[in-house]
Amino acid sequence: MTDPRRGDTLRTTFAPWLRLLDRRRGRLVAGAALMALTLLSAVGLLALSGWFITASALAGLAMVAGLAASLDVYVPGGGIRAFAVTRTVSRYLERLYNHDTVLRLLADLRGRLFGVLAALDDRALSRRRASDWLHRLTADIDTLDGLYLRLLAPPAVAALALLGLGGFLALWSPAVGAAVVVLLGLALAWITLGQARLGMATSHRQVADLERLRGRLIEQLQGLAELEAYGSLAEHRRRLDTLEARLEADQRRLGQRAALGNALVGVAVGVTLAAVLWLAALAHDAGTLPGPLVVMMALAVLAMNEALAGLPLAFTRLGATRAAAERLNALEAARPPDVEAGEGLPPGPPALSLEGVTLHYPGALVPALDDVSFSLAPGERLAITGGSGAGKSSVAALLAGRLGATEGRVRLGAIELGRLSPSRLAERVAMLTQRVDLFDDSLAANLRIADPAASVADLWRALAAVALADWAEALPHGLDTRVGEGGRRLSGGQARRLALARLVLRDPALVILDEPFAGLDAGTASRLARWLDEWLAGRTVVYLVHQLGGEVDPPGVQHTLQLVDGRLSGYT
Amino acid sequence: MSEPETPGEALTPRRWLNELAAPERRLLGLATLAGVVAGALTLGQMGALAWLVSELVVATRAPGELWPGFLALGVILPLRALAQWGQEAAGLEASLRIRRRARAALLDHLARLGPVRLASRHSASLANQLVEQVEALDGYFARFLPQLRLAVVLPLLVLVVVVWLDWLAALFLLLSAPLIPVFMALVGMGAERLNRQQFAAVARLSGHFIDRVRGITTLQLFGRTREATAEVHAAADDYRRLSMRTLRLAFLSSAVLEFFASVAIAVVAIYVGFGLLGYIDYGPSPGLTLFSGLLVLLLAPEFFQPLRTLSQHYHDRAAALGAADGLVALLTEVPAPGRDGGRGPVPTASGELATLYAVTVEYPGRGRVLGPLDLAVRPGEVLAITGPSGAGKSTLLQLLAGFVGPGQGERRLAAGLAFAWMDQRPLLIQGSLADNLRLAAPEADEPAMRAALGRAGLGELVARLPQGLATPLGERGVGLSGGQAQRLALARVFLSPAPLVLLDEPTASLDADTEARVVAALGELAGAGRSLVIATHHPALMALADRRLELADGRPVAPAAQEARHD
Repeated sequence: MTDPRRGDTLRTTFAPWLRLLDRRRGRLVAGAALMALTLLSAVGLLALSGWFITASALAGLAMVAGLAASLDVYVPGGGIRAFAVTRTVSRYLERLYNHDTVLRLLADLRGRLFGVLAALDDRALSRRRASDWLHRLTADIDTLDGLYLRLLAPPAVAALALLGLGGFLALWSPAVGAAVVVLLGLALAWITLGQARLGMATSHRQVADLERLRGRLIEQLQGLAELEAYGSLAEHRRRLDTLEARLEADQRRLGQRAALGNALVGVAVGVTLAAVLWLAALAHDAGTLPGPLVVMMALAVLAMNEALAGLPLAFTRLGATRAAAERLNALEAARPPDVEAGEGLPPGPPALSLEGVTLHYPGALVPALDDVSFSLAPGERLAITGGSGAGKSSVAALLAGRLGATEGRVRLGAIELGRLSPSRLAERVAMLTQRVDLFDDSLAANLRIADPAASVADLWRALAAVALADWAEALPHGLDTRVGEGGRRLSGGQARRLALARLVLRDPALVILDEPFAGLDAGTASRLARWLDEWLAGRTVVYLVHQLGGEVDPPGVQHTLQLVDGRLSGYT
Repeated sequence: MSEPETPGEALTPRRWLNELAAPERRLLGLATLAGVVAGALTLGQMGALAWLVSELVVATRAPGELWPGFLALGVILPLRALAQWGQEAAGLEASLRIRRRARAALLDHLARLGPVRLASRHSASLANQLVEQVEALDGYFARFLPQLRLAVVLPLLVLVVVVWLDWLAALFLLLSAPLIPVFMALVGMGAERLNRQQFAAVARLSGHFIDRVRGITTLQLFGRTREATAEVHAAADDYRRLSMRTLRLAFLSSAVLEFFASVAIAVVAIYVGFGLLGYIDYGPSPGLTLFSGLLVLLLAPEFFQPLRTLSQHYHDRAAALGAADGLVALLTEVPAPGRDGGRGPVPTASGELATLYAVTVEYPGRGRVLGPLDLAVRPGEVLAITGPSGAGKSTLLQLLAGFVGPGQGERRLAAGLAFAWMDQRPLLIQGSLADNLRLAAPEADEPAMRAALGRAGLGELVARLPQGLATPLGERGVGLSGGQAQRLALARVFLSPAPLVLLDEPTASLDADTEARVVAALGELAGAGRSLVIATHHPALMALADRRLELADGRPVAPAAQEARHD
């Protein structure tokens, strides 16, 4: 996924992101204009100052020689002061305005990424649920938000500036103007395109290598007990060191190449300066160019340093931005096709059946489900048992329409699952997942995920059903109590019951409950079981449990099905 | 390795950064020196430019006679480029070495802390610290430290030249000089504040984003993804409004620097211009020439440039300090007493593989979790440790393994004892099946590995794989189910030649068939003369044991009571 796919040019990789930027075109142009104004003031300040003191020197010499000479000191003096002020003010405004723009882009990018993630199915999400994967995606977004400020606006402003300067200087000496455009133009091409080429491969693989290093470190930390016991700690450290050495070599190469680019900026400006001086000297010698203008031209070229300074570093690392864009593009490509126009489930509890279902996750050595068949009549309750990794969650994901089977058929009622509309399916199927997702928000907001229109009375009723109402009433902020990140301020059992309460706010026909009583004490569990038995009447139910015969079993189990390593080992 | 255990002073982030920089003083010095040379050559370039202009315009020489100036430029430009490159390359090299050393020291320290201490931490976030926070040190060493010295040296150098050219102009620059420390403080405060506030806000925003992404399954299940997408966008936009308020102020400090740099050019230009016109009769002004005047003008921005560069690198410092904060907290965590003994220098008295004398284990915040307790593990015996969860079974195994040290009492091991270990979180490394097996026995050949896999109940699976032992496992064992991973770890135990085998719930998450096979294989292992210590609930495994030690609340249950329960 991190390899640059063949045929993916820079343009196709960045095209979706450039289109996204294009929506804010007005702001981008205004920000670039402020940059250009800052640069213009810097060049103007130095060039006009040079012109002024040369003119002064010549006028002073003429006066000493007794010749009549005069120089209007007020206009250039005022110009110098004006440039000094605009340079400061426009720089300040530019930074402020462009940061605002970048933050707006960040909001756009995050929204877009979230939209993409929201459309992925379990097959794509299951391998990637790890939080470091999320961190990397977030980091990729942060890399892309610099696209405008580091990679687009500065070279555009620099190109504009050198064309403008060349044109301006050509008013007096076309040769000088041409020299500026050609020499600085070549320099600009090198420090953008050339540097990008120099650093592309190295910077492209850097993020992936850092990722690999992180993976090895996690191995080392998680496996410390075994590594220490077998005395293979040093061996594993060598693996780490090899990876780190490669990373280091890459960073050295990148850093040295960026430094080369930075040094070349100074050389390019210096060479252009020498060329301009030489051409201006010839013109001065021929009497076509007054002395003050010679100095103005030289100093204007010198000030162009500012336009080029930041570019080599940004472009040497272009590969990293490219890799980030590619990863996000690949994610988008993994998006399953929309099937909004599907059928709905008929009313009432559905029957369900699996016929010869095999499920293969990408990269897995063996299938997660291997030729599994069973069926359940409407309104019946089935318990699927098995150890972790036996395939229970995969069955649940298939039934909830979150996955398609690799082989075989899954039916709800008489309808094959692929033909059902996902959004209409979501309305009829409710699932309590093994890991409960609570959001860093209030109790009420967490409940209203299930039903945004629920009244306060509805919420209290739902809490009462899962025996949380007394607890919630005792809280100083009641329903407005925040649950903390991932529901951390609640106990595991409270979080689980809150998630159950969400289901109560809906009226599902098929209910899938993964370990409904995990983390609950026996008293609460049996109270909950009595209520659940009542609420589940008239619905088709699938429980997923490690094993039956514990302290409190889920209520009303009519059939059991045992899974071992993805294979059906017993159905009663 | 730089050991953090220097007695006396506490390790602070600043001190740690200084300690890290110390061995690379020469490279950092080289970076500074190259920076000074580049600065001096810049002065030379400006001098050549001023000379060329004044010879051309005032002395009206023919272009052909100006060759010394062009020659000087021709010499200076490549040299200056070389010096600039050298400054960056030396700083980079220092930073690379420092980061490698810091990472190695952290890894050594984590290894000393041991698996039990690390179990309470999230390994992914620890790994993040080792990768990202160590990388965050880069800018501080590579750029900030050299620039800090350049920001003192280069303005002085410029000032000396300007004094020589025209002391009154130098006075203008000097007048702003006492303000420079004030700017630096301003810039520093601005950057620090910016960083702290931004950091907090960014963390909050990322937190919000990750919170929603983590719960994406639930949002999908309830069909709420569209609303959540809008919410993510709105949160990012709120964050923007909030941070713009901070930025408005924070950017002011650099605007002040910018302003002084601009004003210095303007003031010098007007002073020089009026001086050259003969309007100023004071001090050195009548002596101004186009050469000296122009050079002063060209040097005025150079006076401020090092400081402007420093202010650009200021966030590198804040980032490094922030990272050092987290890393120093790790480094100052002291390993449990007795941990350093590792495999224990005290050999056992006679024949026993391991002996525990009146040992206890205490954890901070939880008090005593094990002991006092005596235990001797004899060669060839199978010892089952039983008891309810939380009774201290795992702790006893960890103590035998040396992952925790005894709080009181003594742990003795046979000289040169090697042991094999397996718990419920088996280690899987990215690499082939063979790589994973060889962790236990680096020299093992293919038949031995296949035999071990077979005894662990994985023979059938491996036989089905087209690439066999060379089949790659993804990062963190992607491709294997939990039970399969457990059996792979068991295969390692079979492969390892260690005479003592410590097993923590080896049959958890196995199905009945495999379990029976594994129990039989463990019996074989015992038959081959190896000692097994097994913490387990499982009757079949208990039946394997020659001896049982039942624990309750960390203490052995009296033998009489044990018998009673056994029935």
